[in-house]
Amino acid sequence: MSSHHSTSEGGAKRHRTEGPQKHIVAFILSLALTVIAFAAVAAGEINTTFTYIILVAMAIVQVFVQLAFWMHMKDKGHLFPIIGIVSGCFVVFLMVIMALYWVWW
Amino acid sequence: MKGDAALAAHAHTVKRYRGLMDWLTTVDHKKIGILYLIAGGLFFLIGGLEAILIRIQLIKPMNNFVSADTFNELITMHGTTMIFLAAMPLLFALMNAVIPLQIGARDVAFPFLNALGFWTFFFGGLLLNISWFTGHVPDAGWTSYVPLASPTYSEGAGVDYYVLGLQIAGIGTLLGGINFMATIINMRAPGMSFMRMPMFTWTIFITSALIVFAFPVLTVGLVALMFDRLFFANFFETAAGGSGVLWEHIFWVFGHPEVYILILPAFGIISEVVSTFSRKRLFGYSSMVFATVLIAFLGFMVWAHHMFTTGLGPVANALFSIATMLIAVPTGIKIFNWLFTLWGGSIRFTAASLFGIGFIPTFVMGGVTGVMLASAPADYQYHDTYFVVAHFHYVIVGGLMFGIFAGMFYWWPKMFGRLLNETLGKITFFTFFIGFHLTFFVQHFLGLLGMPRRVWTYLDGQGLNGMNLISTIGAILMGIATIVMLINIAVTSLKRPNAANDPWEDGRTLEWSIPSPPPEYNFKQIPLVRGYDAWWKEKMEGKKAMTPAEPPGPIHMPSPSILPFFMSVGLFISGFGFIYDKLFLAIGGLAVTLICMLLRSVFDDHGFHIEEHEQEKGVTA
Amino acid sequence: MSTHQHAEGQLPHEPEKATLEGRNKILGFWLFLGAETALFGTLFSAFLALRHNIGDGPSPQHLFELPMVFAATMILLTSSLMSVFAVQAMHRHKVKEMVGWLIATIVLGLAFLGLEIYEFNTYVSEGHKMTTSAFSSSFYTLVGFHGAHVAFGVLWIGLLILQIFKKGLTVVTAPKIYVSAIYWHFIDVVWVFIFTVVYLMGKVG
Repeated sequence: MSSHHSTSEGGAKRHRTEGPQKHIVAFILSLALTVIAFAAVAAGEINTTFTYIILVAMAIVQVFVQLAFWMHMKDKGHLFPIIGIVSGCFVVFLMVIMALYWVWW
Repeated sequence: MKGDAALAAHAHTVKRYRGLMDWLTTVDHKKIGILYLIAGGLFFLIGGLEAILIRIQLIKPMNNFVSADTFNELITMHGTTMIFLAAMPLLFALMNAVIPLQIGARDVAFPFLNALGFWTFFFGGLLLNISWFTGHVPDAGWTSYVPLASPTYSEGAGVDYYVLGLQIAGIGTLLGGINFMATIINMRAPGMSFMRMPMFTWTIFITSALIVFAFPVLTVGLVALMFDRLFFANFFETAAGGSGVLWEHIFWVFGHPEVYILILPAFGIISEVVSTFSRKRLFGYSSMVFATVLIAFLGFMVWAHHMFTTGLGPVANALFSIATMLIAVPTGIKIFNWLFTLWGGSIRFTAASLFGIGFIPTFVMGGVTGVMLASAPADYQYHDTYFVVAHFHYVIVGGLMFGIFAGMFYWWPKMFGRLLNETLGKITFFTFFIGFHLTFFVQHFLGLLGMPRRVWTYLDGQGLNGMNLISTIGAILMGIATIVMLINIAVTSLKRPNAANDPWEDGRTLEWSIPSPPPEYNFKQIPLVRGYDAWWKEKMEGKKAMTPAEPPGPIHMPSPSILPFFMSVGLFISGFGFIYDKLFLAIGGLAVTLICMLLRSVFDDHGFHIEEHEQEKGVTA
Repeated sequence: MSTHQHAEGQLPHEPEKATLEGRNKILGFWLFLGAETALFGTLFSAFLALRHNIGDGPSPQHLFELPMVFAATMILLTSSLMSVFAVQAMHRHKVKEMVGWLIATIVLGLAFLGLEIYEFNTYVSEGHKMTTSAFSSSFYTLVGFHGAHVAFGVLWIGLLILQIFKKGLTVVTAPKIYVSAIYWHFIDVVWVFIFTVVYLMGKVG
């Protein structure tokens, strides 16, 4: 029994242990996206609606980066995790619409 | 769990309990199913008693059988108990009893969590119903709208019982949803692809997904209400900028999927019962699966049809109106598929199939009034009248309860090794069926005549007297039917358990290929599935048993544990602490639960083995 | 089905996936995260609905200090990277290195919590309490729930570190490490939305 065997179902091939490079890239990307978002607000001169768009876009991209790389969602065998998170996001989407348009007091 | 046998090869004493301890520590899905059946049944009786008391109060105008305050408590507890503590647990009973057997597995993915789910439900329900004895009964309706449920208008501890009781019971349900999804995804027998799963398994799979995504929304709503009541937060306090309609949104984003959580398993049961007792393959299997998924998806997009009259505006009302009517389409597909299954089949009328067949027209009646309610302008007339009460009782009782009865009669021999008495069963069916329609059919007209819901009495001379009397008589008939069912259960439990593996002789799915009740490990060897209706397929080719998919050998089982029981007791104590503002109880109870979680993590469960010679003896659960 | 186990003490490459129990735990945990997504989504939507109702309390522009929020974000982001390295070390069966990265994860997690407690204290002294307004209630509940999740994660990973010392890295302990890392990444993902929606949008107005 050599430690070369991958034990995920079906795979019995040689593997290469994943290096840290991809994850460090993801870290730097996340960092950059965060800095852009904070800078957009700190600058204070950008029109409000446009700022909102930048903030939301940066957040969504960063979340995709983290989900794909750090949480392995781009890897094989993650169909149901993806379905799970997407379904959760679907519920969130509905509730955000509710909160923005259909709540008053 | 055979493959992990090597892991557990260490020598250790095998913990095996008997009697009460066996039931308190079991992690076996079959026993947990029975626990859910007993607890759910008990709560069903309590909820039913509450219903009878409501109907007695309404038997004649200006009655004073109970006070207005007590009436409000009765309707609140009736709704809350029936939905959360009776219907859902009875469904969980059947899910637990049947799903692992139907997919050829030895247990669910997380047996410990399964037990935890049961005990949290049980103690949450206990907490809720203890309110009757403390005099602080929830009385703001099962929907607990604010500002009625806010500290200003509900100063007593009643609503706190609702909040904490449901929160604790809800944890169990969420855990169950995750458990069954993981089980169905990862633990199907070899050869059972998704499109070869029985229809009941499919509906439970989709229902579990609904549970996983809908219950957390309720969790947040209850937390927000709890914070408003206990910590003077302002989620719903308009004076401080809170919003009452926010509660309604949050509640119904949960609440509407909840009713699909209730009905989809019943749809699954009907599919099994109708096809078995017509000796015919289910018509349109793929469209049934597709329809189930579509109903679940659309079920999340219709919640505001409970809020048409709040002032959301015409755009919102139109959107939700259309989405609601759309759900009738996949539901209709299912109805036609059941009819086409029956058509040309060799139909056998048993108590199970009578409930199954009785379901079809009854549920359709409930469904069509649903489409009427879906029209927002019309709903301005129906809202808060007995028309709505009639609709939802038609779909929940006439739909879900008929389904549960059918499932109970169908799977009783598999769970207990004895067939329920057919004569008593038929008496139950006819009495319940007639009583049900008497009670709720007239309520449509009471609603159209303007009788409002949730009001403890009505004036004379409004044309409401006769129908209310009929409605109450129907309720008493349903009570009698329930008593006959209890007698049936009692009489049956005195019989010797000698049911065959396949007592209906027409079983189509894997659970009928093993003994009734099954041995502790379900399958001596995991079966090989070669098609849909896996067992029927083998029978039609002359086989007497399923082809095994693995060699015989020792079977690894999870160990029993008392921790789920204590974790739930901890939550129960904590609930009391929060309700009565006793911080040390609140924290202490949570500490008990957390310590149990710690123990569970630190002390590995190595399980135990059932050796081959013990398997020959047939170790029964 | 894998036949490797630890018959000769040899751990498989991805030890967390080597057993059915491990695979069940990972899948079950992802489904739990789907539920948590709906949970935080509801908290977010309540916050979104109520964020402008500050009552008599201070406004978000007044309250929030961007440098501190940025620092907290960096701390949590870095801690998430630490836990990635921990899982990679686990896959290379380097137990001591894995524990090192895990300790780094929770030290940073504790730093995040410390900062948040300090932050909340400051707000309370400025008149921004749970009871002040609808905005403040939903703020504390949303951000507080996230903080509670961080605290639970710190306790959990701390406990796992102790378990690794006692039992070593096996096909039983590996899924626990893997799952705790997924959890830790998830709460960092939630934080991305919190700093965006609560703090940054709060500052913008």
